[in-house]
Amino acid sequence: MINARRYLAQALLYALFFLPLVYLSQQPDYRHMDEHMAVLKLAVRHAGAIIGECTALSEADFANLPANMRRPEVCPRERSPLQLELIIDGKLLYRETVPPSGLHKDGISSMYRRVVVPAGAHHVQLLMNDNVAIEGATWQLDQNIQLRPTQVIVASFKEGFRLQ
Amino acid sequence: MKALMKKGFNWLDSLFSKAFTPAWNPLYQLGALSFFYFWIVTLTGIYLFIFFETSITGAYDSMERISVEQWYLGGIMRSFHRYASAAMGVCVTLHLLREFAMDRYSGVRWYSWVTGIPLLWLLFGSAIGGYWLVWDIQAQYIAVMTADLFDWLPFMVDPMAGNFLNESALSDRFFSLLVFLHIGIPLALLLGMFIHIKRVTGARTDPPRGLAVGTLLAMLLVSLWQPALSQAPANLDVAITTLGLDWIYLNPYPLIESWGPGRTWALLVGFSSFLTILPWLPSRRAQQAPIAVVDPENCNGCGWCLADCPYEAVSLKVHDFKKGHKQSVVDPDLCISCGICAGACPTSSPFRHVDELVTGISLPDFHIKELLSVTENRLRTLSSAGPRIMVYGCDHGSAVDELASPSVASVSLACTAQLPPAFIDYVLRKDLADGVMISGCCEVDCHYRLGNTWFDKRFSQERVPVLRARVPREQIRLRWLGAQGTAQLAREVAQFQMALRKKEPAAEEELSND
Repeated sequence: MINARRYLAQALLYALFFLPLVYLSQQPDYRHMDEHMAVLKLAVRHAGAIIGECTALSEADFANLPANMRRPEVCPRERSPLQLELIIDGKLLYRETVPPSGLHKDGISSMYRRVVVPAGAHHVQLLMNDNVAIEGATWQLDQNIQLRPTQVIVASFKEGFRLQ
Repeated sequence: MKALMKKGFNWLDSLFSKAFTPAWNPLYQLGALSFFYFWIVTLTGIYLFIFFETSITGAYDSMERISVEQWYLGGIMRSFHRYASAAMGVCVTLHLLREFAMDRYSGVRWYSWVTGIPLLWLLFGSAIGGYWLVWDIQAQYIAVMTADLFDWLPFMVDPMAGNFLNESALSDRFFSLLVFLHIGIPLALLLGMFIHIKRVTGARTDPPRGLAVGTLLAMLLVSLWQPALSQAPANLDVAITTLGLDWIYLNPYPLIESWGPGRTWALLVGFSSFLTILPWLPSRRAQQAPIAVVDPENCNGCGWCLADCPYEAVSLKVHDFKKGHKQSVVDPDLCISCGICAGACPTSSPFRHVDELVTGISLPDFHIKELLSVTENRLRTLSSAGPRIMVYGCDHGSAVDELASPSVASVSLACTAQLPPAFIDYVLRKDLADGVMISGCCEVDCHYRLGNTWFDKRFSQERVPVLRARVPREQIRLRWLGAQGTAQLAREVAQFQMALRKKEPAAEEELSND
């Protein structure tokens, strides 16, 4: 009798351990986003323009270089940071300067942002300057879009902005 | 807070011990159960991997096939895989809380505590990787939010999120990487678990068979009743609105959304750092007593103390002056001042014909000769004519000092196994007491890990130094009732006295007949 009661108590304690565990492994539901919203992802991987001009070497400097490294010009490596703006329906949602990667700042600039917007019609403006020597945007996109609820639209850059 | 937690655990200990018996009490086996669940996850994972396809569409479809077409085996394996990992997470958390509440994380124990912290990260990493592989909407949520979390780090030059922009950005190779991580991180976890128990003698990594069978049965029933299934398949072109979340392992994820990645990192890294330095933070806990000291004159290098030390703090070296002999040496970084070594030393016998009881190894704060004088003094001052009881207990078990009365003397030791068995023989043989009651921490839950285990074995003559066969066992009682069992111990002392009282007239009768 004592054994039966003990096993019953054990069964109860096993249930007390496993039932919350089973429940919590998938419940309660988590609400990540409203159904009437959509997502715009902005992802840019782009190498900015090289800052500065190549300069010609003097004859003396040229002669001082090892034979295998002789070039008529010395060119800078550093690239321009990207200046990005995302404007939706006239409202500035994102503005950032994305530095180039690498110790010598000669790599590509990469960025990613996720923006949640209501579904429906929107006017999207994307502005990017990839050359500090130039004032204003060097690349831009100006487009009207129609977003379905829960739709994910990606704005990326490859020789120009594009929406996918 | 710690005291409150300790009270809570003591209450739960009593409850679980009643249902499971102390030997099977799962709260005393949290570490062993964590190992057990790890092996279940490993074995079931190997089975699932045979059928798993590492591709964008194959990942989800193969898991569905395993769960639906092969529900009787693959489905159960998958459920075991999920629920055992969840159970491991709960056991590990309880293990951490319990060791904190019971003050078993500082001093020499810092090593196990600190090596346990990275295991939490590896455990969470393993579990999150597993959920990711299934590639359902929960996996999609994990992918997007993990990318948000990691892309915040300054060294992430190329955003990880670029892999999950939309369906066309995803590649099969990513699933190969995930599989690699889901095997690699648990392997690192296993290595970490090995390091975690490295300084612990005879670490319990297997739960008692009965508990293991019960756990497996419970998991089987749960797996049949609520099999682990995937949610809707992931689609990176559609944003997730509502999803079922594993709140055991994915609980930091909603924080990434509400707090942002920077503050979430600050919380996770800050909390882990706090846990790591916790053993060295000021606390109201008592200072550790001075460590065991070896007396080379009396140490014969038998190695009994070495065999009994729960933290491998004792080793042997060439004897200081006895040629061809060895002697014990105590590592101050590992000694926890439990005194178990003194209880194991064959020289700790009050029967020795010496002017002063000096032993091979002992605690300077409570030397064996002091234990002898305290025992004799307390027993000699008993005024009652009733059966006299000597109660030996430990500082972490039942409060034996509260039991002292005109017929009961008590001594509390650092650990009950500090008491050499010869003392029981001595007390009864010299007629200093009519009975000896031994108490301490709960069975299987000794504060110094192995005290009551070694004592039980010495009592039953399975381990040296043994309690000699001539000692009448009916005049001794062993009760491992723990800190919460003081009141029960008092009742049992009274019952013991009654039993001895009943025996006395019978013994007197026998003597008169002779």
